[in-house]
Amino acid sequence: MEQELREIVRKLLEEGAIEYFIGYAEGFEPLHTTPCFIERGEQVQALVWSPLCPYNLARYLHQMKNGAGKVGLVVKGCDARAIVELVKGNQIQRERVVVVGIPCQGQVDLAKLEDAFEGVEAVEGKGDTFLVTVGEKVHSVEKERLLREKCFSCRHPISFEYDFVLGEMSPLVYGSESEFAMVEELERLPVEERRAFWRAQFERCIRCYACRDICYACYCQECIFESKAPRWLEKTTTPLDNQTYHLIRAWHMVGRCIDCGECERVCPVGIPLRRLYKKVEKEVEQLFDYRAGMRVEDLPPLVTFAAEEPALSSRQDRSER
Amino acid sequence: MIKKAHLTQWLDRVAQGYDLFGPVLDGVVQFERVNSSDQLVFDYANSVVPPKNLFLPQTECLFAFRREEGSIILEPRGGLERERVLFGIRPCDARSLLLLDEVFNSDLEDTYYQEKRRGTILIGLACPSPPQRTCFCTSLGIDPLSPEGVDVLLTDLGDRYLVEVTTEKGEELVGLSQELFFPSAEGEKLKGEKGKSLEEVGEKIGSLWEDGYWRELSRRCLGCGVCTYLCPTCHCFDLTDVGSTLSGKRFRCWDSCMFADFTRMAGGVNPRPTGKERVRQRYFDKFSYFPEQYGVLGCVGCGRCSQYCPMGIDIRTIINEVIARGAK
Ligand code: SF4
Ligand code: SF4
Ligand code: SF4
Repeated sequence: MEQELREIVRKLLEEGAIEYFIGYAEGFEPLHTTPCFIERGEQVQALVWSPLCPYNLARYLHQMKNGAGKVGLVVKGCDARAIVELVKGNQIQRERVVVVGIPCQGQVDLAKLEDAFEGVEAVEGKGDTFLVTVGEKVHSVEKERLLREKCFSCRHPISFEYDFVLGEMSPLVYGSESEFAMVEELERLPVEERRAFWRAQFERCIRCYACRDICYACYCQECIFESKAPRWLEKTTTPLDNQTYHLIRAWHMVGRCIDCGECERVCPVGIPLRRLYKKVEKEVEQLFDYRAGMRVEDLPPLVTFAAEEPALSSRQDRSER
Repeated sequence: MIKKAHLTQWLDRVAQGYDLFGPVLDGVVQFERVNSSDQLVFDYANSVVPPKNLFLPQTECLFAFRREEGSIILEPRGGLERERVLFGIRPCDARSLLLLDEVFNSDLEDTYYQEKRRGTILIGLACPSPPQRTCFCTSLGIDPLSPEGVDVLLTDLGDRYLVEVTTEKGEELVGLSQELFFPSAEGEKLKGEKGKSLEEVGEKIGSLWEDGYWRELSRRCLGCGVCTYLCPTCHCFDLTDVGSTLSGKRFRCWDSCMFADFTRMAGGVNPRPTGKERVRQRYFDKFSYFPEQYGVLGCVGCGRCSQYCPMGIDIRTIINEVIARGAK
């Protein structure tokens, strides 16, 4: 598959169809890939693909906003949803991106992998298993043991019309739990306990803003957290400030979070951010019957108005009763 | 020497006379205040947030102010109630405090920092081998088994710790439970390994101001604060007044040269307008400006930035690249 990818990219570059291509390259060790920008045909050898490619490369499309040329990139199913949203949000034009879709076999959770093995050299997805190479040995491990949490509930690895697809796309759903199970678990707690849970999480936040900066959806020209006049939030990291940061960001994700899980992956202090945004996603789905990242034509609920919002009015009926 | 089984007894004794800080599991491993040793974890590589936050807190109130009948009244803040003991600091982080001492103690003494520094006794823990995959202190001339910068160093020898006491304050701590300590046999000190030296990065980087590498690097970089906030030697801060012109508080808070607004002037001009200048700044500061001012590289090889960079950017790769591209 890597070879096929390299050939596509070489051709795109040599034909002048794109200015550059965003893909994955080997990082400082086998377990760490890193994004790469390929500009010339002879660089394509650097491109790799494996279940150790967590980065949502659509984030880098922010950089092409002011240019005119075309850019290519490789995406997993989840990342593709970001492209749909960027098009909807007028951040990019669809014709300016050449999308190479990869039939994602699920991504490996590094922490789980490191707990299970030492000295891993390579990981490859195969059917229901990951093949983990350690020295001379290749271990076959059930996917369930190593998958990232978000991949367990991945419903849409094929939600976008790609320009190229490497191999065959097949939906992959593991585990029987609903994707909102972790939200519902919290919802069942009394409100005081729920508040205590989030307060303890937010208190740890060091406001490095990695969760914001990695988010494809955070493309505001001036972020509210950086505005100097008016000053909405100081650099102080009191519990209240941190909570303010997280709640505002959660509101800004309404109808926009595509559950790529990147924010949670990069948080150095382990705040379970996916739970927060999953809650937002769940509310939007129930109120407006809407999911972000599905089709370019879908109108985001917060930019439209329907006098008879079906889901909303049925909810009102319920509360009047 | 002290038997492993006795370590917690000693620490509990310490906690009676001092405010004890040490590694705890709070989501991730962090150095926090504990009341007793059973809150501590002993099986850890290093904390995520470096112990610099005990000396330069991320958010610190410097003073409160209020206007009263034509004058302004200032109430200073800060100061320690009791002497503190920090247990479990690693040799790289201990070295980082020696570097921060240079910064906060050069021409003018930073009293907020100094008070905390003077009022804190350090019990170091030598590093386990093998180290983490991102560690590279040995390439910067740091010995992961060295007692440099701590008052007491413990080295794990299986069922016991080798105890090296280097200062009077360290003696005091050991004296609290003298009965638990016993003399060691000859030659029990382990020898640290030396890594391939990367120290020439300091001589090479100066020639690379205009090099295309910084732009390449900045394309991948998101400009978040992970590397700087988690760096034990990064120490930039911003001052903020919270309140009104009539009364309020002045805080100092960590700031990051990776943020776009770090150098933005009041009129809107930004001397480091793009990621390229900002990324370059971080590495020039570590490997050029810091050594120029203080005679030593501004990095201790803890590897946190490599470990936690959201995009997999690795400082060792950068150093190697600088060494390969640069001229003396
Ligand atoms: S969520 Fe789906 S598409 Fe995304 S990495 Fe996981 S399996 Fe792949
Ligand atoms: S990545 Fe984590 S620590 Fe950083 S701002 Fe986001 S929640 Fe806070
Ligand atoms: S909020 Fe997190 S999960 Fe949602 S789109 Fe942004 S980075 Fe992805």
